[in-house]
Amino acid sequence: MDAVQISHVTKTFGSVTAVDDLSLTVPEGSVYGFIGPNGSGKTTTMRMISSIFYPDRGDIRVFGRQMLGARSELIGYLPEERGLYKKMAVQPMLEFYGELRSGRKVTAEVESWLKRLDLTKWASQKVQTLSKGMSQKVQFIATVVPAPKLLILDEPFSGLDPVSADTIQSAILDLRRGGVTVILSTHDMQVAENMCDYICMIFRGKKVLDGTLASIQDRYGNDTIRVAAEGGARFLDGLPDVERVRDLGQVQELRMARGCDPQQVLRTLIERTRVTSFSIMKPSLHDIFVRIAGPEAGEEQVA
Amino acid sequence: MHNRPHRILLIARRDYLATIRTKAFIIGLVVAPLLFGGGFLGVALMVNKPDIKERRIAIIDATGVAAPAVIQAAQEQNAKDLFDKTTRRQMQPRYVFEALPPAADPKRQRLELSERVRHERLFAFVEIGPTALQAPAPAAQDDTPDAKDAKPAPVAAYTNAGGFDETSRWLSNAVNEGIRRVRLTQLGVDQSRLSGALAEVKVDRFGLVSRDPKTGEIHEASKKNEVAEFAVPFGIMLLLGMIVMVGSSPMLSAVTEDKAQRLVEMLLGLATPFELMMGKVLGALGTSLTSSAFYIVGGTLALYGMGLSGMVPFAVFPWFYAYLIADVVFLCSFAAALGAGCGSPQDAQQLAILLLAPVMIPYFLITFVMQQPNGAISTAMSLFPPFTPMIMLLRQAMPGGGVPAWQPWVGLLGVLAFTLVMVTAAARIFRVAILLQGKTPKMADLVRWAVRG
Repeated sequence: MDAVQISHVTKTFGSVTAVDDLSLTVPEGSVYGFIGPNGSGKTTTMRMISSIFYPDRGDIRVFGRQMLGARSELIGYLPEERGLYKKMAVQPMLEFYGELRSGRKVTAEVESWLKRLDLTKWASQKVQTLSKGMSQKVQFIATVVPAPKLLILDEPFSGLDPVSADTIQSAILDLRRGGVTVILSTHDMQVAENMCDYICMIFRGKKVLDGTLASIQDRYGNDTIRVAAEGGARFLDGLPDVERVRDLGQVQELRMARGCDPQQVLRTLIERTRVTSFSIMKPSLHDIFVRIAGPEAGEEQVA
Repeated sequence: MHNRPHRILLIARRDYLATIRTKAFIIGLVVAPLLFGGGFLGVALMVNKPDIKERRIAIIDATGVAAPAVIQAAQEQNAKDLFDKTTRRQMQPRYVFEALPPAADPKRQRLELSERVRHERLFAFVEIGPTALQAPAPAAQDDTPDAKDAKPAPVAAYTNAGGFDETSRWLSNAVNEGIRRVRLTQLGVDQSRLSGALAEVKVDRFGLVSRDPKTGEIHEASKKNEVAEFAVPFGIMLLLGMIVMVGSSPMLSAVTEDKAQRLVEMLLGLATPFELMMGKVLGALGTSLTSSAFYIVGGTLALYGMGLSGMVPFAVFPWFYAYLIADVVFLCSFAAALGAGCGSPQDAQQLAILLLAPVMIPYFLITFVMQQPNGAISTAMSLFPPFTPMIMLLRQAMPGGGVPAWQPWVGLLGVLAFTLVMVTAAARIFRVAILLQGKTPKMADLVRWAVRG
């Protein structure tokens, strides 16, 4: 069964169409990533799956059931904006959130998660005394207690230091291994590439990409060269059949024109400088994102 | 919508406990009655601290005979009212008089006396004109305000004191009494006999006589307690308004703050907007019921302790609580909707006045309603749902108020229906507005959301 089915959903706010005739399916047990620029409709879509917003048109089913505004203990939703009762102690607040979701006492689950995320000694402290990273871990626990089957995480790694991000990432993947379906949004393309089984890009309210990373990359073919050369990017200007050069510092990514011969690019490059690394590859998710949503976007938008 | 009572109750419990555990709530329990009742207490204290500085008054008597009589009448009145009969404390200023003959230049004389008043060597001066002793001819007794203003009065009092200064009334009584005595003397009437004939007859007020339904015995009516007749309805209405305001006014800022702190979206992932709003409303209701229990129990025990158990209005307590619940639910829902629509706590402060209206307007009508509890306007206002809790309760709490039995029930039904409509409209506004950021909706938006959701 699909965890989520969205069929022709549209949501408008006044004259702005936030989500426009969106359809997608999230397979059960997968990690499904939403990418897209700010204001593209990711958060609105996740809020509609969580029943916080109702679609103007279309149908949303979670585990086969229409939600129609209901809250389900099967869904754990972590909003992008962090909202915790600052004057409450950590554990009572988590128990309140857990009980609100499940309708039962969740003390044991809360204690287990506090231990797992190394927050036990903060259990009786007020939320306002926690650091930002700890607050985000607490909010994550509030989302996963007691045991939702579908996790919806809006920018779960935003503002986290690498250690905290790793901790949360590891917890998410553990939950996925336990059968939990995860929908997350991220601006970090590396996270999307590494964590997500499926990636959906929403741009201006419309779905422009949907599938596995490999299937998305296959659409573009091996049109990217990653090169490392002495002198860096300054030797790459004016290479034949190269449409765009992306300077990453130590390496550069070249986007080749359709029908371009990479060997010709290599020969020209060797004539200019000493090449230490040269590989032909599919475009990165970052590059695909920029092709669709960057300033020079236009021709790349595919449904 | 799939609303679950346990979520409403959980949110209510959290909000309730979060409120009553704060020092602000505990302090507020004590401070609120002082703030609300402080004005009345202040007046009571001020009454016991009157201005008793000696006041000198000059009398220019053009009749040649009125001044001594006026001074004598004034001194008798002063002697009678100077001290409180129970405490023997001086409660009025002592008045000292000086009689002056009219000067050749009346304008200059008035100016000199005015200067003395300005320099506080004199409190006031009275000019008794030459015609003051003449009784007005019956044909000329035109008491219309225009006719009175057109003709100069035979007596003029000059003072620098404010318009509501008690001395003016006091002096007017003394002057009238003095002149009346001179007139009666001139008519040859024996004043000692006349004052006895004109002495005031005291009228005691009683309730109604009743019959014991079991024994058939007729019970005499009990004497009316004028303090209880005023204090009980006034006090219980004041208490209702105070608890409603204290319970509902924080809702506006609380919702706005939750919204500003982005707390709401997390909660909306766990509870529907209606559950969230009603949880908050019930939490506030719990707080109000706790406050009311504190005051009702405390007040009842205090009255018992003072031997005034008869003043406890047990019969209106059920109505008090019915109105309290309806009023708090309606006002808190309204506040939650307004709070959801506010972009910032500053916006919320500007709207707070809307929440005070259902309590403050009835406060302004207290005297009117108490004078005419069953008049058409009192009845209509008490059946107007936003004002029903306050005004109907006031009417019901008045001993022998005679409110027809159907009116409280109709009023309560109206309040409940109104509350239901308000909660429904508020929930619609709350649902739409609570996640709006960076934009303050216009009144037209709020109305549209309330109607259409």
